[in-house]
Amino acid sequence: MLSPERLAQPDYEYLAQRHVLTYMEDAVYQLLENREDISQYGIARFFTEYFNSVCQGTHILFREFSFIQATPHNRASFLRAFWRCFRTVGKNGDLLTMREYHCLLQLLCPDFPLELTQKAARIVLMDDAMDCLMSFSDFLFAFQIQFYYSEFLDSVAAIYQDLLLGKNPNTVIVPTSSSGLHRQRPALGEAGVPEGVEASLFYQCLENLCDRHKYSCPPLALVKEILSGVQRLTFYGFLGTLSKHPGINQALGALPDKGDLMQDPAMDEELERLVVRSRLHRTPRQHRAKEPGAAGTQRRDKLEAPERAPEPSRWQPE
Amino acid sequence: MIPGKYRSVSGRSANNVNCGLHLVIQTSSLPEKNKVEFKFNRDSPSFPGRLLQHDLERNYSSRQGDHINLVSSSMPSFPILQRSSEEKILYSDRLTLERQKLTVCPIIDGEEHLRLLNFQHNFITRIQNISNLQRLIFLDLYDNQIEEISGLSTLRSLRVLLLGKNRIKKISNLENLINLDVLDLHGNQITKIENVNHLCDLRVLNLARNLLSHVDNLNGLDSLTELNLRHNQITFVRDVDNLPSLQRLFLSFNNISSFDSVSCLADSTSLSDITFDGNPIAQESWYKHTVLQNMTQLRQLDMKRVTEEERRMASVVAKKEEEKKRESQKQSLLKEKKRLTINNVARHWDLQQRVANNATNQDRKDSASPPQDPCQTEGSTTSPFPEDTGAVDSGITSALQGLSVIDTHLVEVDGDTLSLYGSGALESLDRNWSVQTAGMITTVSFTFIEFDEIVQVLPKLKIKFPNSLHLKFKETNLVMLQQFNALAQLRRMDQLTVDPQGNPVVNFTLWKYYVLFRLSHFSMQKINGTEVTQNDMIMAERLFGILAHVASSELPQYRLISILGDARKKQFRYLLETKGKKPGIVNEENNDSKRLVGENTNRATLNYTTREFYNEKLEDIKEKKKFCKMYIEDLMKEATEVNMKNEALQKLWPQMFIELVRDAVIEIRNKNSYMKLCLQQITDQK
Repeated sequence: MLSPERLAQPDYEYLAQRHVLTYMEDAVYQLLENREDISQYGIARFFTEYFNSVCQGTHILFREFSFIQATPHNRASFLRAFWRCFRTVGKNGDLLTMREYHCLLQLLCPDFPLELTQKAARIVLMDDAMDCLMSFSDFLFAFQIQFYYSEFLDSVAAIYQDLLLGKNPNTVIVPTSSSGLHRQRPALGEAGVPEGVEASLFYQCLENLCDRHKYSCPPLALVKEILSGVQRLTFYGFLGTLSKHPGINQALGALPDKGDLMQDPAMDEELERLVVRSRLHRTPRQHRAKEPGAAGTQRRDKLEAPERAPEPSRWQPE
Repeated sequence: MIPGKYRSVSGRSANNVNCGLHLVIQTSSLPEKNKVEFKFNRDSPSFPGRLLQHDLERNYSSRQGDHINLVSSSMPSFPILQRSSEEKILYSDRLTLERQKLTVCPIIDGEEHLRLLNFQHNFITRIQNISNLQRLIFLDLYDNQIEEISGLSTLRSLRVLLLGKNRIKKISNLENLINLDVLDLHGNQITKIENVNHLCDLRVLNLARNLLSHVDNLNGLDSLTELNLRHNQITFVRDVDNLPSLQRLFLSFNNISSFDSVSCLADSTSLSDITFDGNPIAQESWYKHTVLQNMTQLRQLDMKRVTEEERRMASVVAKKEEEKKRESQKQSLLKEKKRLTINNVARHWDLQQRVANNATNQDRKDSASPPQDPCQTEGSTTSPFPEDTGAVDSGITSALQGLSVIDTHLVEVDGDTLSLYGSGALESLDRNWSVQTAGMITTVSFTFIEFDEIVQVLPKLKIKFPNSLHLKFKETNLVMLQQFNALAQLRRMDQLTVDPQGNPVVNFTLWKYYVLFRLSHFSMQKINGTEVTQNDMIMAERLFGILAHVASSELPQYRLISILGDARKKQFRYLLETKGKKPGIVNEENNDSKRLVGENTNRATLNYTTREFYNEKLEDIKEKKKFCKMYIEDLMKEATEVNMKNEALQKLWPQMFIELVRDAVIEIRNKNSYMKLCLQQITDQK
């Protein structure tokens, strides 16, 4: 912590890199918003709670998109929260459309832009048949790189376009609006014209990009690994491979590996408790509604109930 | 035998058929051979016709001294009829030639005073050779083979003409028979009533068993009292009201199916006796009282007297029918108005959606909006709906033309269902609903209204319609799962119906589970008509339980309070805005929300803010964040300044310290001068 490099940086730079100011500003904003409630239990406690939640990654729940996007830590926390909340959907095996995933995202962040979800979907579906269903893990990993590295990906898209058109890649590139990407997509399958761009040239450009820019980029070593394996590649081919590479996942540290994606023992336990509680709630009501299977299920529930500690039922029969 | 019913009419005792007749029939060409003598017993009993038949059947063999010889002539000429002078004197005015196997009318010589002529039951094909009988009053040609009415033009005195059971196809050549009293044409092949208009003395007209398909052309028959049209194919009747004397009309066994086709009967004041049996109309349930109601002058219907009771019943029933018709017309008018209103609302909705889509797509291509602007003006008349009026009854259209305003929203209460069409309808929730009506409503249906607008009136709904259990949404733009969070604030909900039309959210795989999860405290029974099973609930819990857990337990305390507080604040805001708020209700709200929080803390944080409010909030946030940013920046500047000064101090301090020490040492090096300096300093201080 007390490394010499840290002291070598000027204050502003240090603060900016750690995004300390962002969190301070947000903390003060929260204080302003809720001063009546917070004044009840003290400001010190508030700050403790706030920074605790920042550490735990729960500070981004139900916040506006501008905040969630503000720092890499926020983005990673959001990804993690999304995974935790909707892992069960994936576990259930449901395949959902892009719009439905967007809906789920909106449950956590009401003004999440559709554009990002669309871009993530394009990575999964290789920009084809946008109404296709996607699996949870596919979508999640694609969404991860799209959301975490969105600025980087925009720049890469611009570079890719330029390379396709044959422009000099070493000029300064300003990311254009991403909607341009799709209208200018070259027609594939023209006789004799190979798909995509040359891998080595592409890598050089990316290297330049990562050096130049301040926003987060994927580790160059990984990128090199991916690009060295092929001769030519397309934009979405590149992104697809990137999203599926386990190294990225580890670099980000937000999500578990693909194999472990559906595992979360602590949450599963909690879930079981919730399910049981809901069943107990439901049973008396069912009995009243005279459903055909009511008697059977009731009996079954009664047998099961003593096995678990009976939850205090807050539901009052009317 | 003359049919009995004519007996009194003719006023003559024409039933005494010739008993005792001496006939001599002579053909002109073969005088000797064809001398036929008919001799009959003078004292024969009163039915000589039958005897005659017997005689004829016995091959005209002589019997009791009569010899009848009938020689048929091979040459086409007429037999000449002669009676003995005794006969002539006894029965000077009547002549019966029944069943004589006559194929032609014989020439009747020397009988110019004849008044009654009977040719029944023969095979005569043409009426001939009777022109000289100019005193003839009664002519009976029943049951022959006559194909055409002819040869009667000189019989100006004729009063009774019986031509039943022949083969006549057309009524004609009756011009000169202006004294005709009875005309019997039953059992023929007549298809049309014609050429009878001059018979102003005609009292009985019998056209039964013909081929008539309709009745008209009856004007001029001013004396007609009885008209027999049984056993025809009549479908409609006209002109009967032009018969001033008509008392009896027999229409049995025809093809009349509605009273409209015989409507002229209602206008006839003289009719007292009518029959309709055997017609399709007689099978209808409304037959009797319709006839009685329309023909109040009737005394007998289908040969049965009409009682006062029946008449009364008829008028009562008729009144009821009138009522019913008026009611149903009113109903259909209302329905039509409703349909047009709904169409109007739908049109508005479509336009709105298109405009919204344009705004999001930033597409200038859609030029469809301008030409349809006329529809957007409120209070438009029926003119924008040309395609609709085509389907409407002409009567209703004309009634609707009177309506100058077609609303842009519709509120309808139908038993237990309250239906709202168009966003303007939401204002109707402010109305003073009677407790009874409001209490009966169990289903509320929203169509063509933005869900965000509905969310804002849900608190009002909760108060005014406490028994609403079933909500239906159609064309309400439900696009996000989040929007269902808004429904959690209601008191109860047993059923939810979200119509796929206009609600894209239904296309999501998980929408039902999310509804069950978020609204689990309602213990819903049905969603979109399908029962909710235990498994569904468990699945919902499994899918989204963690979300709830995270949303409640992992949120920092202050955020929990702020989110819940926000929701409560919003509810109160809506309440305060409604008119006529009572303190009692506010307390109830308190209890409700408390109960809500107690039940489902883990879900209560999942709220829905309508887009409008959210954008407002974001604006707010921007302001506040700007302030915070500035504040923090100030703090940071201070801190960095201090830090800088600190660092600078750190750097400079060693040097400063050394200088301090050096200065001090230099000062003290010369003790004496230092003592003098100190003393000087002390005296200076004073």
